[in-house]
Amino acid sequence: MTIALARPAMPSRLWQDAPVMTGLTVLMALAAIPILLAMGLDPRQFQGESIWLKPLKFHVALVIFCGTLAFYARWLPAGLSDRRGWRVYLGVVTVAILAELLWIGGAAALGTASHFNLSSPVWAVLYPLMGLSAVTLTSAALAFGVSIARNPATGLDPALKLSLVTGLCLTFLLTVITAGTMSSMPGHHIGLPVTGARLPLFGWSREVGDLRVAHFLATHALHAIPLAGLAAARLLAPAPARAAVIAASLAYAALVLATFGQALSGMPLI
Amino acid sequence: MPLSPDALFQIANPLALAGWVALAFYPLAPRALGLVAFALPVALSVLYAALVLTFWAGSEGGFGTLPDVMRLFDFPGTALAGWVHYLAFDMLVGLWIARTARAQGIAHWMILPCLALTFLFGPAGFLSFVALTLALRKGIPA
Repeated sequence: MTIALARPAMPSRLWQDAPVMTGLTVLMALAAIPILLAMGLDPRQFQGESIWLKPLKFHVALVIFCGTLAFYARWLPAGLSDRRGWRVYLGVVTVAILAELLWIGGAAALGTASHFNLSSPVWAVLYPLMGLSAVTLTSAALAFGVSIARNPATGLDPALKLSLVTGLCLTFLLTVITAGTMSSMPGHHIGLPVTGARLPLFGWSREVGDLRVAHFLATHALHAIPLAGLAAARLLAPAPARAAVIAASLAYAALVLATFGQALSGMPLI
Repeated sequence: MPLSPDALFQIANPLALAGWVALAFYPLAPRALGLVAFALPVALSVLYAALVLTFWAGSEGGFGTLPDVMRLFDFPGTALAGWVHYLAFDMLVGLWIARTARAQGIAHWMILPCLALTFLFGPAGFLSFVALTLALRKGIPA
């Protein structure tokens, strides 16, 4: 009673290197389809936008995050994925990611807030639990960074390898700093008045400080810094390439902290 | 402007009808028509999921008692979800009947009444097919 359908369209290399992360990526992408449709059907709004926009953004973000880790998994040490400890850890990360999406999607279905929601005992218990869950899922970037650093046989150009490691580790470090601070605040906006002027697509405020800017940039360190590393490895000799990666990492961290400080002082990005 | 439950109902019904036409002609192209009768329930299930995400929290009622179930059907969004549930699952049962009949060598014309019954009255059609397989001494198709 099965139809011989082609495997979901993902390169087989990803399935081979990271079956869990790849499967999770496919699952989250498919789960976004009903959410997308619900966004078209549901007239309910939250803070001036469709109630389903936030769950959709989190699905997209986590698809990109897990898809990227699945891609980087080819540079993990050989045999790591067979180790029991690693498999258990990936299982914990998977549960954390699914819990996060269920919490955010469930809150949207109920027409209420997920983050910053302390309106009832249940939501007030869930919020810090989901913070823990968010740290857990972000720690996957750190675990990948450290593991790739320890792999002597990645076959990568040293500068590119360094950029992967710093990008992954900075993703964890900077995200925990920026998102952790944000979660201790009453909301992601700093300042008044909020009338609704936003940057298109991203939805960041153009009137007041928006802590989501720094969170976004922090979490994309795992893309930005390796891209700089790729360019450095192509264009420069080994020693200057290494220096360029270190400089790019420091500059990127400075950029994240600058946008963070900007938002904390109540100023919009632009 | 979001589509109203009434407008969606008008879309869902022809989708279901297309799937049943495919099943009626199933032996002509089992792979392609079977895929149609599989893909349409998938599409209807996506619609169902979106309807539940959208309307469940705002409606009253539940699964616990008959009056609770009846109250669910007082809300256009959840009533439509219930209707789409019928459409999707009935078609999957129809596909299962067509495939099982083919695998067991039951002539397609013999299951046409079962398919028609399943289309209209779901479980009654399923029951008629189980009865047919027993009557033809094909054993229980499970």
